[in-house]
Amino acid sequence: MNTWIAQHVLAVRDAWRHLRRGGGGFLLNVLVVAIALALPFAGLTLLDNVRPVSEQLAVDPEISIFLTQDTPRAQASALAPKIRRILSDAGSKGTLDFVPREAALKSLNEKTGMADVIGALGSNPLPDSYVLKLASFRSAAEAEGIDAIARDLKALPGVETVQVDSAWVKRLAALLHILRLALLLLAVTLGVVVIAVVFNTIRLQVLNQHDEIEVSRLVGATDAYICRPFYYSGALLGLCAGALALGAVALSLQPLNGAIGDFARLYGSQFRLAPLSLLATGGLLALSALLGLIGAMLSVQRHLSKLH
Amino acid sequence: MIETPPNMIEFHNVTKHYSKDATALSDVSLSISHGEMVYLAGPSGAGKSTLLKMIAAIERPSDGRVQVNGQDLGKLKSSGLPFLRRSLGLILQQQSLLQDRSVLANVMLPLLVSGTSSNDAATRARAALDRVGLLDKAPSLPMSLSGGEQQRVAIARAIVNRPKIILADEPTANLDRAAAERVIDALTSFNAAGVTCIISTHDEQILQRAGRVIHLKQGRLIDGGAAPEGSAA
Repeated sequence: MNTWIAQHVLAVRDAWRHLRRGGGGFLLNVLVVAIALALPFAGLTLLDNVRPVSEQLAVDPEISIFLTQDTPRAQASALAPKIRRILSDAGSKGTLDFVPREAALKSLNEKTGMADVIGALGSNPLPDSYVLKLASFRSAAEAEGIDAIARDLKALPGVETVQVDSAWVKRLAALLHILRLALLLLAVTLGVVVIAVVFNTIRLQVLNQHDEIEVSRLVGATDAYICRPFYYSGALLGLCAGALALGAVALSLQPLNGAIGDFARLYGSQFRLAPLSLLATGGLLALSALLGLIGAMLSVQRHLSKLH
Repeated sequence: MIETPPNMIEFHNVTKHYSKDATALSDVSLSISHGEMVYLAGPSGAGKSTLLKMIAAIERPSDGRVQVNGQDLGKLKSSGLPFLRRSLGLILQQQSLLQDRSVLANVMLPLLVSGTSSNDAATRARAALDRVGLLDKAPSLPMSLSGGEQQRVAIARAIVNRPKIILADEPTANLDRAAAERVIDALTSFNAAGVTCIISTHDEQILQRAGRVIHLKQGRLIDGGAAPEGSAA
């Protein structure tokens, strides 16, 4: 075990020596890989921030059921069990609230501050209504079922209008799905770029270390011993680039949040972009190192076999 | 009880072609006993380096069989090569020291690749440098040493792993007489300690003081191929 650890410590030292020898070239490679990583990392940060907001919006979709002005209060009240039956027949759950026209008017006055205008109308122009808040509705697929519920509700006697707010939820869900897919494709493409850059860097290292590799072989080094420093070089390159990319993304949030804050305040929101969690940051650093390691492994396997 | 093979090295009808027109060795058969000191003599292109490279499995025969310490190298898998090389001490014709590492680091290399800890490797490398009279040069870079000193560093690296066989390819080439004598004296002292030494040279003065000489010419064995009677350990 001690020998195993010692061999790996030695390999890390050798890798660091190789990288230091590369000097400016190594830093340039780190920069190139960091730029490639920064784009998907920034996209992931954005999605990570938007996801909870979109989920929060999607958990309480509402259907507003407006009754005709001449519907008697008793008939309006009698609609509640029918609405609940339609809901249960559709296999959905939710809460149903009756909103009398007087309460609706009061709420309108309080929220809009247009009491004078509404008072000038003389009579209450609002109808009685029901507000149906649906649960278990978190995706565009689930949102499909709500259209059928709305159709059934529209067919009830005394119902004039059914307003479904699922359309925008579906649009948001679809947009997020597209964003996720685009980010995945971007990440895969740039992952290949990272592997290619590391592949080339390690190829040059293998060529530069040709004499050392030959001498090591002659004195009894195994292929594993020879390959190890190159693997660590690739992983270190990926790790440094990943850290740089994450740092750049975190720094860029500061000015971005200034602009986003101004925009969000217009909608009474305190929304701000937050950096990724420690766990996610650790995961991305590990992924960066893994991409570097894969690039190094492919390069070393290919070029060492040529040196045999 | 493990039986010791009668000879340390055996060549059976070994031929090596590099191409159709380039035959380095032709039907060579020879044997070298345990603890022998053998010189390979012959002009340039005689096949001395190829013969040494075959013992180290750097080159493989086109035909015939090579055995080292009872092991048939033709049957040796590539995974077994490092372990064969660890039992050998190689001193090559080209200076094979790593120029960007200190003398000490160069000598430590065979120990580190075989899993010796850094501290133990440093201690043993210093002892090896002491044996060739270069302990004071341990922190120096090879390029700051003379040709003779570099060759002695290569010897220190060859012996640091306590090999069973030392293979030296023209170890005195490009050295002045005094430096060449020191190199051969160092190799002779290791042979006296029981290490089988095979040295290729075309230095006539060195060959005059030699015991057994194997003569090669144009890839063919001229004489000296058989181990002397009763020399096996």
